[in-house]
Amino acid sequence: MEYTNSNPSPVKEYILSVLARNRAGVLLRIAGLFSRRCYNILSIVAAQTEDTEYSRILIVVSGDDRIVRQVDKQLSKLIDIVQVDVLEREKIVEREHLLLKVERTLQTSEKLVEIANIFHANILNVEPDSMILELTGDAGTINSFIELYNPYNVLRILRTGAMAMPK
Amino acid sequence: MLLTGAQIVMECLLEQGVDTVFGYPGGAVLNIYDALYEYRDRINHVRTAHEQGASHAADGYARSTGKTGVCIATSGPGATNLVTGIATAYMDSVPLVAITGNVNLNLLGLDSFQEVDITGITMPITKHNYIVKDINDLADTLREAFQIAGSGRKGPVLVDIPKDITAQTCEYERKMPLPPLPHDFPIEDRFRQALEMIARAERPFLYCGGGVISSEAEEELRVFAKRLDAPVACSLMCQGGFDQADPRYMGMLGMHGTNTAALAIKNCDLFVAVGTRFSDRVLCNAGLFARHCPIIQIEIDTAEFNKNIEVQLKVKGDAKEVLERFNRLLPQQSHPQWMEQVDAWKKEFPLRQEPKTPNGVTPQQVIETLDRLTDDDALICTEVGQNQMWAAQFYTYRKPRTFISSGGLGTMGFGLGAAIGAKIANPQKTVVNIAGDGSFHMNCAELATAAAYHVPIVELILNNEVLGMVRQWQKLFYENRFSQTDVDPTTNFPALAEAFGLKAYTIETADQVEPVLREALSQNGPVLIDCRIDPDINVLPMVPAGASVESPILEMDN
Repeated sequence: MEYTNSNPSPVKEYILSVLARNRAGVLLRIAGLFSRRCYNILSIVAAQTEDTEYSRILIVVSGDDRIVRQVDKQLSKLIDIVQVDVLEREKIVEREHLLLKVERTLQTSEKLVEIANIFHANILNVEPDSMILELTGDAGTINSFIELYNPYNVLRILRTGAMAMPK
Repeated sequence: MLLTGAQIVMECLLEQGVDTVFGYPGGAVLNIYDALYEYRDRINHVRTAHEQGASHAADGYARSTGKTGVCIATSGPGATNLVTGIATAYMDSVPLVAITGNVNLNLLGLDSFQEVDITGITMPITKHNYIVKDINDLADTLREAFQIAGSGRKGPVLVDIPKDITAQTCEYERKMPLPPLPHDFPIEDRFRQALEMIARAERPFLYCGGGVISSEAEEELRVFAKRLDAPVACSLMCQGGFDQADPRYMGMLGMHGTNTAALAIKNCDLFVAVGTRFSDRVLCNAGLFARHCPIIQIEIDTAEFNKNIEVQLKVKGDAKEVLERFNRLLPQQSHPQWMEQVDAWKKEFPLRQEPKTPNGVTPQQVIETLDRLTDDDALICTEVGQNQMWAAQFYTYRKPRTFISSGGLGTMGFGLGAAIGAKIANPQKTVVNIAGDGSFHMNCAELATAAAYHVPIVELILNNEVLGMVRQWQKLFYENRFSQTDVDPTTNFPALAEAFGLKAYTIETADQVEPVLREALSQNGPVLIDCRIDPDINVLPMVPAGASVESPILEMDN
């Protein structure tokens, strides 16, 4: 019998919810770990929790199953980290915040507003030649929203990265 | 009682039972050094020639005793000079607390004189680090530092203390050291699965790493090896963790392991690994390592499971505790045919070096003679390169903590400082640093420390006048293009040693080896031996890059 290394599972996105002591440098420790172990951070959101002693950090990583288990264990070794949970997409609510600036012309104006309405996006600002839209949703919704605006010359995008909470 | 920050540092060291520290004074640690003067009857401070030497000395102190080593350096360059030593300790899981001074709080972040962000710099090479910005946190921070350094998989912790914190005062109350942080113990089912795998095995292979030594599991390992009735190979970090005079011992496994270990791994049907992280120097080609048999890995750091190689059964826990439990559960196994086969390989493939000239000296002769002339308690330190591999191959280590070497980081210049630290920790034991001329050159200034503190170590330089290990690779893979490895040496090592105040000897012929070693070992002070060896003696066996650990090169043409 051959004990080959099992084939890596497909690369996908995982959301890690990390509870950390709210000490100086904790974000640097996390970011440094990702960088030196060659793991990819797609997005990171960090803020104090209801208890100001702790921070909650949501990290979206891309990798196969083995990489994510490694990330989990290596993160758990950091002294300031209290707990790491790899969230399962079906068992969480996920939200991300997007600001999108798109080119506006007389011809496209109506179309731009129409798309915004479909997504219940807010129109934050309108200039003669551009428009800023705001949307909150899960990564999938945000991605389709951006895709629909792409033909109209998207000028700038700001995404916060995913926030997620187990149900 | 009201104490200054510097006095609190001293008290916290005493709480931990620290009586020896290694360091180098400077502006930002003036208060700490003033307190060291005050506490000089209780804390022995050894001033090295360079902060790097202090870090290696603290490391050698820790490796040879199992206690946490302590080094102190000033801010800026003092702190950065510790970096190689801290990284060395980190890679080999050595408990170390490094205390650095920094500039005053109000000067932090302003590129002040001798300011450096040492917590930022050492983040990837410490288990944890701190900068203390409030004197009320100082004592607890130091206590935590020792707790973290000595818990679970051990390692270095750095505490950076701005100068004004060491001058301020606050109430101090003596406390007991914190208990080690809790670690995992395997679930019962893992033992059951392991026992089933062992029961099925006809040709088990027992492989041990540094975790055996750091958890002090040598006795449990001895019993387990016998119970499993398996041959044993050790990593470089486990030299001495298993008695090498035991007939079960096959030698090292890995890039410069024995052919017996290579043949055994090729033919085994179960691979049991204890306290090891499967470094690339052991795996060689990970895809070709023990792929025909299941692997059981016993390891305290769960992040080491499935990191470098996928294993079939993970048993998380401290090597000593896990082996103890196995020894209670495991019935006596019996594999006489397998053991006979391994024994036959051992006889067929001994490690052997031939002199290149009549009466020429081989490292094998030197180290085996040293082995004969020293007792089982002698501490053998090494530098890095050929000298290190020969020291591992030809000396018979019978007890843990007798082989002190930079394995993971491979730090040339480590050995001399480490030997000084080890000797200071173990004044009654013989301490020899086996060096190469290249490594010796790196930190030879530490001879000054050995001389100043009358530390009777033997600095044994296997002098082939080349950077032998790199040169060996150039022979194998770069068509003998000896780029920068055979720069004509001009240093007269014995004269240099004498200038530092050491007694010096030279060995040039085979018949000088024993008498010179004998005399050097009998001196009551530091000595240096310049032992001339041929530049073309190679470290063999050798697994070339990318090849399987099962097929080492046994011979080289030149």
